[in-house]
Parts: sequence; C-alpha cells; structure tokens
Amino acid sequence: MQFYYFHLMPWPDLPADFDRRYPSSWVMLPNRIYDPQRGQQLYNEYLDELERAEALGFDGLGVNEHHQNAYGTMPAPNLMAAALVRRTRTAKIAILGNGIALHDHPLRIAEEIAMLDVMSGGRIISGFVRGIGCEYLSLGVNPTYSRERFYEAHDLIVRAWTEPGPFAFEGKHYRVRYVNPWPRPLQQPHPPIWLPSQGSTETIRFAVQRRYPFVTVFTAYAHTKRLLEEYKAEAQRAGYVAPPEQIGFALPVYVAETDARAREEAKAHVMWLFHRGLKIPPHWLLPPGYVTESSLRKFLAAEMKPPSDLSFDALERAGYVLLGSASTVRDRLKEYWKDLGFGLFIGGGRIGDMPHDKASKSQELFARDVIPALRAECGSAPSPSGRGSR
Amino acid sequence: MRDVRTHLMHGGRGDPLLVMAPEFGSGVWHPYLDRLAAHFRVLAPDHLGFGESERPEWLDDVDDLVLHYVDLLDALEVPQVAILGTSFGGWIAAEFAVAHPERVRHLILVGAAGLKIDGVPRYDLFLNPIEDILRHLFHDETRAAQLLPTEYGPDVVVHAYRESTTLARLAWNPYLYNPKLERRLARISAPTLVVWGEHDNFLPPAYGHAYTRAIPGARLHTIANCGHLVPFEQTEPFVDAAVDFLLRR
Repeated sequence: MQFYYFHLMPWPDLPADFDRRYPSSWVMLPNRIYDPQRGQQLYNEYLDELERAEALGFDGLGVNEHHQNAYGTMPAPNLMAAALVRRTRTAKIAILGNGIALHDHPLRIAEEIAMLDVMSGGRIISGFVRGIGCEYLSLGVNPTYSRERFYEAHDLIVRAWTEPGPFAFEGKHYRVRYVNPWPRPLQQPHPPIWLPSQGSTETIRFAVQRRYPFVTVFTAYAHTKRLLEEYKAEAQRAGYVAPPEQIGFALPVYVAETDARAREEAKAHVMWLFHRGLKIPPHWLLPPGYVTESSLRKFLAAEMKPPSDLSFDALERAGYVLLGSASTVRDRLKEYWKDLGFGLFIGGGRIGDMPHDKASKSQELFARDVIPALRAECGSAPSPSGRGSR
Repeated sequence: MRDVRTHLMHGGRGDPLLVMAPEFGSGVWHPYLDRLAAHFRVLAPDHLGFGESERPEWLDDVDDLVLHYVDLLDALEVPQVAILGTSFGGWIAAEFAVAHPERVRHLILVGAAGLKIDGVPRYDLFLNPIEDILRHLFHDETRAAQLLPTEYGPDVVVHAYRESTTLARLAWNPYLYNPKLERRLARISAPTLVVWGEHDNFLPPAYGHAYTRAIPGARLHTIANCGHLVPFEQTEPFVDAAVDFLLRR
C-alpha cells in the first residue's frame, strides 16, 4: 500500500455571518474575504505540512486544483508542485488533478508537467480532472463541452508527451499546428496519469481501458465501494484483474490519543469542511450539460443526501471521514483494504479549518503508528502505475 | 427536415406568423398563441433541443437555428412570413431578419436577447435555480404560476435540464448575445415593432431601446405593469399591440 498526504489548502477564516448570508463558499463568495497577509502564513504552513509528510515517511504528497472558493486555494496546482519539487527528495508529488478541460491551452499543462517531471527527477504523478461544476461558472468555460474538452485535452497532452514533435493536432476544441514541447518528461512513456473521480460510467471505462489508477474522492463509503467494484468489474470485462496500484481511496483522516479525543478535536473542522467548504447549491455542481440526462436521472433516483445536509454522526457513520486513535484508524483502514483492495491511500490531513498543531499531531501519529503497521500487513505496493494503455 | 425531428404546433387561418418561442414553456399551445391564431395562421415550432424537438449533435450556434428555420419555411412553402420572437426566440428572430431580410414581412421583437450593453447587467439564468428564475421574470410573481411546474419530480427536473443544456450549448459564453449582431441590425428591412415590459428584470428596458435605435424605422412599445415574459404576463395588451401592428402596417 502507498500512502499519500493530501492537502486542500483551505481558507479557514469565513465571516461570522457566513452561514446565513452566503449560499456558498464557491464562485460568488466575495474575494475581499481573502486576506493576503494571512494567506502568506497559511500557504507556507501548508507547504511545511506537506514537506513534513515526506520526512515522516509518506510515499507521496498530494495537491489539487480549485478556483474562486474557500474550500481550496490552489487554482494553479503546478505552482504548488513546483514549490515542493526543490524542497523534497524522494516523495512522489501527486497533482490530483489538473483541470484539463478548463483551460484554453492543454499544451501548457503538458509543458508544465514535463518541466516538473524533469526538475524532480521523475517524481510527478499527473492527475487529470474535468473540474467540478462550479469551475465552469467561475471560469466561463461551457459545461456542455466538458467531457469533449476533457478527452481531447487528454489526447493532446499524452501525444505531446509521447509523439515526436513537431506534429499537428487540429481538434474540435484545441488546434495547434506544431506540437513540439521542450522539455520532454523524464518518466517513460510519461508521468503516471491518475483519475480522481466521483465516478461516471464513462470515466471508469476510460480509466480501465488506459489502466489509469482510479481514485474515489469525498464520497460515502458505500458509494466508494460501488465505484471501485464497478472499476474492477469493468477491468474484468476488458480482460485483466485491476491491481491494487490502480485502485485509489481518498479520505480525510484524523488521529488522536483516543477515539473520544479524535472525535472531539476533529468535530468542528469536519463540520466546517462539509457544511461550509462544501456548501454548494446543487445546480452549481451540475450546470447544464455537465452530466448526461441519464446520469442525472440515476443521480436523482439514488436520492443521496449531500454531505452538507448530514450531521457529524451521520458523516462519520457513512464513512466520509475516519477519526480515532491510531489503533482504531489502523484497524478500520485494514478492514477497508480487505473490502476494497486499494493500493493507494490518499489521506487528507488538515481537515477544514483545523489549526496547524492538531493537523501536525495527527500527521505524526498516522505516520508513526498507522503506516508501518499497514505496510507490514497490506504490503508495500510497487510504484503507482498509470503509464498508458497497452 | 434534413433528418432532424422538429415539433411544430400550428393553428388559425390568415397570413402566416412564425412565432419564435422564449426559452421557457416550450411545447405548449399557450393562450397568447391561441389569441394570435384568431387573426393569423400561427406557426409555433419548438426550437431544436427544446420541447419535443430533437437536439442534433451539430447544433452549437444560433446561426444553426436560423438555417433550420429557413428549412422549415421552405418545407411549409412559405416564401415570406411575419416573425414574432420572445426573449431567446427574439434573438433568433433578429438574426433571421438580418440574414434573410427578404423572407420577413414584419418583425416583432419581445424582450429579445442577443445584445449586450456595458453597464446594464442581465440576470444570470445559469446561476439561479428554476423556481427563482420564473418568479424573477414576472413583475407580479403570482403570474409565474402559469409556467411553474406543479411538482418537481425527476421527469420535470430532467426535462428542464435538457432545455437548459441546449440553451447553455448556444449561449453560455458570450452570455445570451452575439457580439456581431448590433452592427448587423441595420440590414433588417422589415417594419419592426419592439415590445418590452416596463419592469423587465432580466433584460432591462435599455435593451429595448438599443434594438429600436439599431433597426431602421423600428418603433418601441412598452407594456406597463409587466416583467420580462410579456406574452404570458400581459397577454391581452400584448396581443392587441401585435395584431394592431401586423394588420395596420
């Protein structure tokens, strides 16, 4: 099993009247709420926490991309990866992921990842995402083209990395007559591509065909299980057994001295994460054309309550978070591992508006008392895959 | 036509009147259509991707709809027609009249989208949920009831999502306008009536003035006590003004 320490880099200082005054912490939450002085302190604390994860023995560090919100302040994840590249030596740096459908020039992403890969000595993991619905409102990109843009951008990036340049790419959304990026990435054939996803059938099928690791994010345990089983079933249909290094499981985790302390210390921050950080009107998550009509129908039929509607107890019971002493967390992760067969564990450490000292304590307990035991019992998985289709 | 299924409602007798529906209430023979049918042969198609009309893969521009309506008129053997368009339908009507002036006998633009005026913001249909939108589009909220669904079960939600997806495909960015349209409006040769609700909160009355200024010979008629969806909110005064214009000019 490989252990990644994942950061969202939230903006924790929401105004006292946030709950009653603002429909969301995304898109329209006025950016005068962001204080750049405090932001400097936070970014540097967050980077310290990520660097410390390497020192503590995590296999890798994770960052991601979100725009115009208080949940996560990394609109440019490659900049965070760049900040980490020079200050780390061995840890993988997982960008989970670049919103490749959101930008005008996917070639830019190909170039940046290639630079990072070369600079880091081949430690980059290149996750690709479509971007959640809110990003389309924030950036003005047409959500009805989200999937088309994603697949076309993916093709352009992978070809840019692997096909000798110059060559022409004249697609529907992106047209470049001389694709010839310098530098070329160090890892061959290219940095691993991971797909963090909430799991449409189409994404799963695509991931399976390309043997890209599939990483479930921020869903209840039951839903995570459904998605990973669908991934494995799809792999079977494609003629292979999905190995653990292709199965990723992301979960916010908090470890303390006892179960009771963990719950008590994490509670307010868990509630911040799900009730404020993820306070998003449903029609912003699903702007027009973002999902197909049949997906929408399935989603409505499932009648899943959004986590922002759930109580703390309900969130914990449903497995949105894992809180406890080191032995509880260890035992529960082992159970999950037996049930799901994941080889990639992506643990979120600084939950919501959690302060640095709590996050650090939990990080240390996890690294010292959870990781070694799980490595011993669940095996040290080989390097993450995702190196392209066969 | 050309392998695309189009749902067309029609009624009445007289000179042909092509009604370009707004982005709300597709697929229904509304009272204003019925009243217009007392004087004209009303042709009321569902736009591609709305109501019961198919949404073809190639549809991604209002120009595609303009050519589609050329096909419709050809198929119905109507060489020249009066066109009445509301909101999104008004934008299509304006583009049609710009591109095919010889086919338009009269033009009525009602709360028409298609233009952008710096400093006069437009309500964002994509940011707000459907229940709020419909109320916002009426000056007297209680009149929204005629268009609001009675319940929000999955069929209603998916149907609204489908139409919203079509609109987004055509009008997400630039938002509900064509940067080239204003300059081209001078090409319209048909006598034109511009009708606007006094209290239009979606496309403020400045847009009515902009259309009136840009179209040669156009006249503006403001409907009092009325929001954006004029044909629904003030059906009688609206129909009277439209019929008066079409019959007396």
